[in-house]
Amino acid sequence: MNTNKLNIWFFSSSFISIFVAIPILTVFASFFEDTTQYFEILKNTFLLEYIFNSLTLLIGVLFLTFIMGVGSAYVVSFYQFPGSNFFKWALILSFAVPPYIYAYSLFAFFENYGTAFTILKNLFGEGNYNSQIPKFDGMFGLILSLSFSLFAYVYILARSSFLYQSQDLIELGKNLGFSKLKSFYSIILPSARPAIVAGLSLVAMETLAEFGAVDFFSINTLTTGIYNSWITFDDLAFANRISFFLLIFIFILFLTENLSRKKAKFHLNKKGGFKTREKIKLSGISSLFAFLFCFLLFSVSFIFPLSQMLYWTIKFPENFAGLQILNLMLNTLYLVMLSSLVLIIFSLISNYGNRVSNNKILNILSTLSISGYAIPGVILAIAFITFVAWFDESILRMFGISSVKKIFIGSILGLVIVYFVRFYSLAFNGIKSGYEKINISVDESAYLLGYSKRKTFLNVHIPYLRNSLLFVIILISLEIVRELPITLILRPFNFETFATTAYISASEDLLEAAAVPSLFLILIASIFIIVTSKFILRVNDD
Amino acid sequence: MMTKNFFDVKNVDFKIGGKIKVKNVSFSIQNKGETICILGPSGIGKTTILRTIAGLEDIEKGTIKLKNKLLSSREINIAPEDRNISLSFQENSLFPHYTVEKNIYLGTERNNISNKKKINPHDLVKLLNIKNILNKFPHEISAGEAQRVSLARSLASNPDLLLLDEPLSNIDQSFKEEIQVELKNILNKYKITTIIVTHDSYEAFYLGDKCGVILNNKLIQYDTPYDLYHFPNSVKVVEFLNRGVLIPAEVTSPKSLENDDLGTITGNFAKPYPIGAKVKLLIQPEDLVHDDKSNLKLEVIDVKFRGTNFIYTLKTPSDKKLSIITHSHHIHQHEKHELFGIKRPIHIEHIVCFD
Repeated sequence: MNTNKLNIWFFSSSFISIFVAIPILTVFASFFEDTTQYFEILKNTFLLEYIFNSLTLLIGVLFLTFIMGVGSAYVVSFYQFPGSNFFKWALILSFAVPPYIYAYSLFAFFENYGTAFTILKNLFGEGNYNSQIPKFDGMFGLILSLSFSLFAYVYILARSSFLYQSQDLIELGKNLGFSKLKSFYSIILPSARPAIVAGLSLVAMETLAEFGAVDFFSINTLTTGIYNSWITFDDLAFANRISFFLLIFIFILFLTENLSRKKAKFHLNKKGGFKTREKIKLSGISSLFAFLFCFLLFSVSFIFPLSQMLYWTIKFPENFAGLQILNLMLNTLYLVMLSSLVLIIFSLISNYGNRVSNNKILNILSTLSISGYAIPGVILAIAFITFVAWFDESILRMFGISSVKKIFIGSILGLVIVYFVRFYSLAFNGIKSGYEKINISVDESAYLLGYSKRKTFLNVHIPYLRNSLLFVIILISLEIVRELPITLILRPFNFETFATTAYISASEDLLEAAAVPSLFLILIASIFIIVTSKFILRVNDD
Repeated sequence: MMTKNFFDVKNVDFKIGGKIKVKNVSFSIQNKGETICILGPSGIGKTTILRTIAGLEDIEKGTIKLKNKLLSSREINIAPEDRNISLSFQENSLFPHYTVEKNIYLGTERNNISNKKKINPHDLVKLLNIKNILNKFPHEISAGEAQRVSLARSLASNPDLLLLDEPLSNIDQSFKEEIQVELKNILNKYKITTIIVTHDSYEAFYLGDKCGVILNNKLIQYDTPYDLYHFPNSVKVVEFLNRGVLIPAEVTSPKSLENDDLGTITGNFAKPYPIGAKVKLLIQPEDLVHDDKSNLKLEVIDVKFRGTNFIYTLKTPSDKKLSIITHSHHIHQHEKHELFGIKRPIHIEHIVCFD
């Protein structure tokens, strides 16, 4: 609608988008300071090593997540075998295990005199098993940890794309005499390509942003480089410069992901309806292979870290007693609730503003603001500190106003603000995808029935978006429960969550002590995933 | 004294997304309760006209008035919610989270606050045959059903002006005529002033007290259905209605013309032409009468059986294609390539010619 474009909704929406974009712009702005030193920095520092390690990690993780994600999605989407209905949703439980917790489990299981050793000893008696047990540490362990923890991104998107695929297209393949293998390569895989690329891009962004696991295995990547230059060398400017290089990586991925998603739209059935596809019933050896593949993936990605943490918790009950579980739980829930509320309210306003204003500038601002999710938490936290410091020293000092650093840094407010920036795109896009299902003519019909904009928002949009909002709240909660670097950098003194407690114990080489908070974290995240699995998997359409 | 029209559009440029779709349009609805239809090919801007009247698009030129109140001008654009105009969209615009019943009853909210004759939603449910789907959600019903529900919701609001965008386009042919009759009854019963956009000329002729034809970004003709059909004001309208053929002829008297293939044609000229003028004469299917005994015979090149009648396409010696209708129970059929007799002299009640 062309009328009344510059209304309160437009201004609120613009304000929110600009606010979210500030830390992103801060990182970009920092690149233009002292530009002459860049070549020196590149030559004399670890930057090349950081880049090399980041790339190696990226390639390894992308390769494994592609195999695991696409393979499992294909098997559960097209075939029926014992447990296929269970694996359909059970495979996404791997989301409940953050890469750093997976890394603790992997390392601990295979280390000298670790869990594997104990199992062998109990089974076969004393022996020199340490030399025979493979070691999963360093880059290889890191790649495995990230892959098992992140493959679900590819699995979910590939599976939903497989579900959307036209039955006619697959039947056409059969008609043309294609074998199963040829159908897969010539029809199924190419038409799911945009979804798979989108999934891989998310994996790539998470990989480049990963801090906990990378730090645990002591691999120098761009992300740990940023953290170390800030913590160890107290050099914010250098941290920001490394951030810029990382952002270039991520920006390319972000573009790839966006372009792929746009294309993905063309693969959807226009009417939105699904033609129920008869799954092929497997029997004999092929059924066993399909089952084993999914069972192994599920066991290794979820049951293995869960069991390891449970084992330690039972073996060392003193760690359980030593922790203030209730306190950690309350802290985590407090952050979850506060952040969800802020994110939902502002994302709703922003979305509605975009919808009623339909303004190009606002669209650009929104696109910029949602790029926050692509930016690693470490960078956002440091950019936030940089901005507050600049604001404090340049603006406030100029007007003789006392420092506000304490209000924003090391406080719940600062933490919630950075969570807001980081997860804004999750909330914004979640609500947006709900909004996209409401045809604009529905709004117009409401106006024509005498509804004001406010009444349309409250009486038409909110009831319709109820499910989307619930889904977004749980997704945000899941992310915040798992989140590590932002919480680590910006949390108030003596304020811990399950994630930070696990990290601190692990960094002090007390992996057994990290088990209890890790176990709680996995259990809470699993509950969130089970509640949302219906939405995530679009079970209704299956 | 100047009469005040119920609804007035004066010199309006209708635009969407900054692009003018229909230029300098003027038309009016004289009395409350009248229905007008706007005809035109797809994409010409018919929907834009409705959206603008509803207040969903603004105008930069001209004025739109309802009950003598200014709704839109360059300076003023009353919000859609304050116009009491209802628009039934072509696509599904039902509230997706409400049942069909709730969707219809939402329409009655405005109906309740106005002092007008109330429209009973139960009547609408019955008339539009949607009783069986009242408890369903919009995604559970077919496109045709959604269109009927949308129509019911718009009618239930008893607006000052009802706008219907291709209201029956998704409805099955078998059910369409029945709905057309019911719709006309409801509109008459409640005296709802209506503008209907359609590309179906039969629908427009049946429902409209007046019809407008939009072609080449302009409102070319605005007339009663009878006059639009029998007295089209331009070759473009003839071509759009696609119900006649233009053949060359020479005016031989105030009541006759001569064509090389058909001979003498008599009748009353809609507009006088000087004797000797070379014109293009409009021949419509009902202007020709079949006569097996006639010596004017043309070759049959196509036969269409339409249930109640046959439509024969005939070829003249100068390669013009004429259509003629015969009754379905006509004593004998003619096959392709046979000769088909036409009664002479040809008499046309309204002779329409173009320069």
